[in-house]
Amino acid sequence: MILNKRQRFWTKIVTYAVLLFFAVYCLFPFIWMTVTALKPIDEIRSSKPSFLIDSPTLENFKNVLFNTGFLTFFKNSLIVSVAATIITLLISIFAGYALSRFMRFKGIKATGGAMSLSQMVPPVLLLIPLYVLMQQYNLLNTHYSLILAYTTFMVPLCTFMLKGFFDSVPYEMEEAAEIDGCSRVRIIFQIVLPISIPSLLATSLFAFVNSWNEYMFGFVFINDEAQRTLTPGITLFKGLYTTDWGSIMSASVLAVIPIAVIFMYLQKYLIEGMAAGSVKG
Amino acid sequence: MKREQKKKLQAYWFVLPALVFFLLLIAYPLVKVLVDSFQYKTLLNPGQSAFAGFANYLNVIKGEYFSTALWNTVIWTFLSVAGEYVLGITSALALNQNVKGRGFFRGVIVIPWVVPIVVAGMTWQWMLAPDYGIINNWLVNIGILDEPYYWLGETDTALLTVTFVNIWRSFPFYTISLLAALQSVPKELIEAAVIDGAGIRTRFFKIILPQLKSVSLVLIFIHIIWTAVNFEFIWIMTEGGPLHASETLPIQIYRLAMKEFNVGAASSLASIMLVMMIIGFGAYFLITTLKRRNIKKRSEMT
Amino acid sequence: MKKKYLFTLFICAISFFVLIGCSSKSKSASSGGEGDGKEQVTLDYWASWNPGSVEEEKTLAKIKKFEEEHPNIKINVELLTFDMMHDKLIASISAGNPPDISWGLSEWFGELNRMGALLDLTPYYNEWSDKGKLNQNVMDSLTVDGKVKALPQYLGIRALLYHEDMLKEAGYDAPPETWDELLEMGPKIKEATGKEAFGITGTTVRSSQELLMYLAQSDVSIAQKMDDGNFKNTWADNPEEMKRATETFQFYKDLLNEGAIPEDSKTWGWQELDTNFAIGKYAMNVDGSWMKDREAENPDEMADVKIAPPPYNTKPATFLEVSPLYVYGATEHPKEAWEFASYILSEEWQSDIRPTNSPRTDVVSDSQWGEGFTSLTDTGVVFPEVPLGGITQAMQDSIARLLLKGEDPQDVAEWLSKAINEDLKKNGILSE
Repeated sequence: MILNKRQRFWTKIVTYAVLLFFAVYCLFPFIWMTVTALKPIDEIRSSKPSFLIDSPTLENFKNVLFNTGFLTFFKNSLIVSVAATIITLLISIFAGYALSRFMRFKGIKATGGAMSLSQMVPPVLLLIPLYVLMQQYNLLNTHYSLILAYTTFMVPLCTFMLKGFFDSVPYEMEEAAEIDGCSRVRIIFQIVLPISIPSLLATSLFAFVNSWNEYMFGFVFINDEAQRTLTPGITLFKGLYTTDWGSIMSASVLAVIPIAVIFMYLQKYLIEGMAAGSVKG
Repeated sequence: MKREQKKKLQAYWFVLPALVFFLLLIAYPLVKVLVDSFQYKTLLNPGQSAFAGFANYLNVIKGEYFSTALWNTVIWTFLSVAGEYVLGITSALALNQNVKGRGFFRGVIVIPWVVPIVVAGMTWQWMLAPDYGIINNWLVNIGILDEPYYWLGETDTALLTVTFVNIWRSFPFYTISLLAALQSVPKELIEAAVIDGAGIRTRFFKIILPQLKSVSLVLIFIHIIWTAVNFEFIWIMTEGGPLHASETLPIQIYRLAMKEFNVGAASSLASIMLVMMIIGFGAYFLITTLKRRNIKKRSEMT
Repeated sequence: MKKKYLFTLFICAISFFVLIGCSSKSKSASSGGEGDGKEQVTLDYWASWNPGSVEEEKTLAKIKKFEEEHPNIKINVELLTFDMMHDKLIASISAGNPPDISWGLSEWFGELNRMGALLDLTPYYNEWSDKGKLNQNVMDSLTVDGKVKALPQYLGIRALLYHEDMLKEAGYDAPPETWDELLEMGPKIKEATGKEAFGITGTTVRSSQELLMYLAQSDVSIAQKMDDGNFKNTWADNPEEMKRATETFQFYKDLLNEGAIPEDSKTWGWQELDTNFAIGKYAMNVDGSWMKDREAENPDEMADVKIAPPPYNTKPATFLEVSPLYVYGATEHPKEAWEFASYILSEEWQSDIRPTNSPRTDVVSDSQWGEGFTSLTDTGVVFPEVPLGGITQAMQDSIARLLLKGEDPQDVAEWLSKAINEDLKKNGILSE
């Protein structure tokens, strides 16, 4: 439309070249993981590393799925991440809305400032205080401890993301409803949220991935095998003296694939959702 | 006026849950950190602590590797964010083109971001190993290197290598955000520019980039914070070594707290870092608001 | 329309997960049981075997047997890697709820002891019928001021591992016995096989363990217990000791300068050291009996591996890694904890699960992976019982100063001596 034929041809070539580069760059370690997961033990740590497998095997996957707590860890991660995502979202919707509409109040502005401050605190530092806190409230070894910790660290960013999206929702629509006597909560749920679905989806995917991948709180707060989440579970295969690479890699592949599939499936909404907020940022 | 009061109350109710989380799980521990930073406190003599004044601060700053860690934090943060942004915008521009297999490529680009840091760190560490790592093996076979190079084991390259891996993992978030922003750039704007005879470069720098400005600022702002406080990546790949060559402030905080059990020193180092970041961002916001006000004033005057 | 559908879905998901999402339960530590009239006790046991390994299978079977024999005790196992375990222990000890029993590194002994976290096992130990069966050298390393503060559950003694074929190729029938022999073999092995003779580590926990051993082979230690009960690095007070410490650093330097080790060995961690040896990238190193497990991964390359005492300078010595079983003072059930801990040290358990590396003198295996290591116990050295976090870091740094920055061996020895004393001072245990 805006390019002539020759220009269009070259743009296409360059685009494909760039995309190909990125595909290789992004997939390279992932392919290495997959290949390793499919290798028998005597091929894994060879002095001649290679992407080729002499005798591929599903032994590692079988081992991980049936002889370890992988499925329990997976379920736990799912419960924790989904719960943290939902609570984060509920809190952030209201906070984000308030930040978007009522910035003129000093207290709200201060809250916004406090939230950006909280992002600057290295989580490492809060490890022991939070542990003590969780213990005082008898939350150690429960999913609650992780859900609370993840929610805490996720709320500020999700609030800011949602604030951005709500900024782009015209206020006039709400005013009309307000005059009709609708309550504010109803306005949010009936007017603002339905047109922000893609944004909500984008924000929740973001929160979900972060909880899914979190590691430190996961291993410090949970002592009970039955409650353990995925990332600490995977690192267990790294022993002190020898590392079971086959199991680590197959467990990682199994952990990454579902999320990757969700992303591929939802990426349209994801981008649409991010776009809604990005006009104003 | 009464309606405004009601709104205010409502607004406070809305932020209350977020505020409770903040106060309970961040502010309260944070206050403890600040208090501890003025105490002689170590886990080795539990229960004993004494007021230290600024002694912890002085000791930390005088520490042999404080300036190295500070400098490393700056390099690590700057290079990471810069690299991520460049890759992010390049990939976003490419993905914004109308080409076949766009969905596939979009899906693929997200993969690094969904690989847990622990796993990514260990995998890269292995791939980069000198003798049994695939990357060195290839580089030698192709002839780029004469002999395998220990990327994570040399003081010159350790930090850069971890930075490279960090860029690999973090840039997809930029891609998604920037791609989203690109799609909301009005087509008419670009078409108008083409009619005016603007080349590809002009179009990019004069029209597209300004449209991405606000998203970019938010992205960069968030990632500067996240990268600066990030601890896992470096710890997993190098533990800050060799000879502190890849040690950043969070690594030093971790070492002080969890290896040497010096809670007082760890807390004061953390407070220093926090204050530096607040000052940095505070200054930035002050300057931008002043600028904006000046522009406003000037436009009002004319 | 589609959006409305998504929205409903979204709301449903919220309510669904709010209801079921948090249905996790907290464990009950102990509950009043009937049984044989005794109180029901649950012991938290943090361990670190590889999941899915033979060791795990055997251990779980033994634990089951223990529970059957002690119906009032339940063992609650948690598997952790040592890195994870350290951070968790620190967090849980500061919160006052450590596990009852755990594995751990011997390097943590000093810190855990200083934190007051360990149970005094002396009364139980003195009553124990198998008391004399443990290696004295090993028990000494876990005893402070006459009090037994931990038990040894296995030994990680280090020995010289060598690829026999590579040595033969260079015309050597026997491995080196001294540093000088080792240095001399360096260029010959390189010439004959194209591979370096030796490997060392410069990073990770292993490097400070190695340095401790090489220092002991020159007959110096990093810190000594003085008459006042505190500790001190005495090199600076004693020119003779400083000289011997310097020799050790000179040895490191010679290894690198004369090409006896690969160039990048100076910053290897334990993974690089072990893996490169397993894939036959160099001929010899000082390593532990866990290298036997590498036979599965690299059967061909590991086929010619033989074991010998480590080469030394003036005094035969090796690093004696005592893997402790820590019992924590905060436990509510010290008697039951001891019951279980002593079962782990029993001949029955040890001969089944630790046939090659048991701290018991009556469990010895004839294989080279057993005897080859345990026969070196008497020459074993251990870390002093001080908090080691800062000291092991300084030891790593000293190797880096020497090999990366190219500092003079004497300067490095002086620096390390000072750094160790400064760290002791920080922890309030420097002997003045």
